[in-house]
Amino acid sequence: MALLSLHGVVAGYGGITAIKGVDLNVEQGEIVTLIGSNGAGKSTTLRAISGLLRPRAGTITFRERSLTRLKPHEIVALGVSHVPEGRGVFSRLSVKDNLLLGGYQRRDGETVADLERVLTLFPRLRERLGQAGGTLSGGEQQMLAIGRALMARPRLLLLDEPSMGLSPILVQTIFATVRQIQQQGATILLVEQNAAMALEVADRAYVLESGVVTLAGSGPELAGNDSVRKAYLGES
Amino acid sequence: MHDLAVGARARLALSWTRVRRTAWNQVALPWGRLRRSTWGRLPPWVRPFLWFVLSLGVLVVPAFDDTWMRMFFLVALYATLGMGLNVVVGLAGLLDLGYVAFFATGAYTVGILGSPESPAIDVQLAWWLILPLAIGVGAIVGVLLGLPVLPLRGDYLAIVTLGFGEIIRILLLNMTDKTNGSSGLFNMPRPSVEYLHDLGLTNRHVVDDVRAFYILIVVAAFVVWFVTARLRDSRVGRAWEAIREDEDVAEGMGINTTKYKLMAFSLGASIGALGGAIYAPFIDTIVPSTFSLLVSINVLALVIIGGMGSTQGVVAGALILIGVPELLQFQETKDFLESFGWLRTVLNAPIDLVNRVTHLGIENLPPSEEWGDRLASYRFIVFGALLVLVMVLRPSGLFPSRRRQLEFEAPPEAERPQSEGIT
Repeated sequence: MALLSLHGVVAGYGGITAIKGVDLNVEQGEIVTLIGSNGAGKSTTLRAISGLLRPRAGTITFRERSLTRLKPHEIVALGVSHVPEGRGVFSRLSVKDNLLLGGYQRRDGETVADLERVLTLFPRLRERLGQAGGTLSGGEQQMLAIGRALMARPRLLLLDEPSMGLSPILVQTIFATVRQIQQQGATILLVEQNAAMALEVADRAYVLESGVVTLAGSGPELAGNDSVRKAYLGES
Repeated sequence: MHDLAVGARARLALSWTRVRRTAWNQVALPWGRLRRSTWGRLPPWVRPFLWFVLSLGVLVVPAFDDTWMRMFFLVALYATLGMGLNVVVGLAGLLDLGYVAFFATGAYTVGILGSPESPAIDVQLAWWLILPLAIGVGAIVGVLLGLPVLPLRGDYLAIVTLGFGEIIRILLLNMTDKTNGSSGLFNMPRPSVEYLHDLGLTNRHVVDDVRAFYILIVVAAFVVWFVTARLRDSRVGRAWEAIREDEDVAEGMGINTTKYKLMAFSLGASIGALGGAIYAPFIDTIVPSTFSLLVSINVLALVIIGGMGSTQGVVAGALILIGVPELLQFQETKDFLESFGWLRTVLNAPIDLVNRVTHLGIENLPPSEEWGDRLASYRFIVFGALLVLVMVLRPSGLFPSRRRQLEFEAPPEAERPQSEGIT
């Protein structure tokens, strides 16, 4: 049984149907990436999983429990953390408050230890603890958003476009961190427009086109696929 | 030449920014020095407490006559309402323009259940019995008004709550069989202090004069302050702040936004109702027109002037916004202004001169005995000017809360740690 599986998930906004029957599986400990062009429904898929958007049809199961009817806070409690597109840092709260809010549902008294763990993973955040989140640079905000999601000790981390708006060097750093997080035992579902980077780091990948999965396979497999190379890796 | 001009302009712009960042936004208050010395060394939890005692408690001095005590009562009442609204607006970030609805709820609960004139039911409950009921009814009304506005945000929420405030007033006006309509309810039950009397702590049996009501409202304000301050620093407070900053992300962090928003509404509402329940016996006659939009605006303005999310700020805001307009009507103020009669002679001379030479026909100053009355009738202009002044000089309020300070007074560039590599 996969950690997370989606079957025929349909979701959208108002009159628009953004995803039209998505099927995908994520196994424990994997990095799975979802690639596709603008408007293919990648972010919508993540929003449906974390409950920010209620799917119109289909089933989403996580650890053999259905997520489709649950509220976002109940889904977080089950161990799914979502790093939203555009980071969603609380710009007027301090970095420390941002991180602590990530562990809002934790009641085990180990948040302080986890704060230390996150600060070890992102040493730069330690220098910025007392600063308002909004005064951080783009890269630091991305680190903050990921760190904040880790504070919930998720089993599954949903990452939406972590490379957006970052310099190539910084993208490398972020992806290295994603690997590190996986090694520490988390499962990651990664949405990316930067297909080359995503396929490099992922164990498996799905290609999403106009709301449906058109291709699936291992990272290297898809990186070698002709149509993927043409459409997403910018090769002819 | 051209470059030079651009450079100069840029420098000017830069220095202007610096002025705005530092001096402009942080106009030193007279107690700034105090804060840095002894004040600053006090443990953090003692400071708001002392503030409270200093700003409200000291005023119990019996040397003040009834007019002054009335003013202090109103200041403390509005400070209490301000603390209630602060939960909704300052902490949870839900802009509520109809706060008066809850104030009216509390007052009318006392009126309907306690007044012998109440046409609805033929019972007269004791005030102390009605008090918890009024708070409970307030909380329920808060949830009822909160439920339909849950999906609304910002301006839309403000407009709908504005409507609620008016709806309640119009309901009270038209439900004649329950509220007596525009003739209102009177002969409110007085809070009994028989127990304190038996203990020999007071010589009265009920709270019936301004001084006693003042003590009652200060006690209530203190309880409200304690509850809201403790909540602000708890998990609940953190959830509210997260919702205020970004509701979507807060939801994604695992915060049950529905629950916490309703909690903010109902807590704010029950505090408003508490204020109303104390106000009713104080004023003795409640009519729908007492609960006008102006109450909501006053309470909101004092929260903003004082500094959103801070309790000391609410007290300071109430002193300025409620105290000053009352003060301008006092006989003392009138007497004081009257003593400036000589100013009239001095100023009228040049006016006469100008009138003699031109045909402008400028009016002479009225006699100084009238100045007080004139000022009293212009008090809302004075009040408005004061409001603008405070907002320009201290945009985050007189006593910004620690977190609000982060938002408006970001550290100047030079003080920020320089990052290497990653920017």
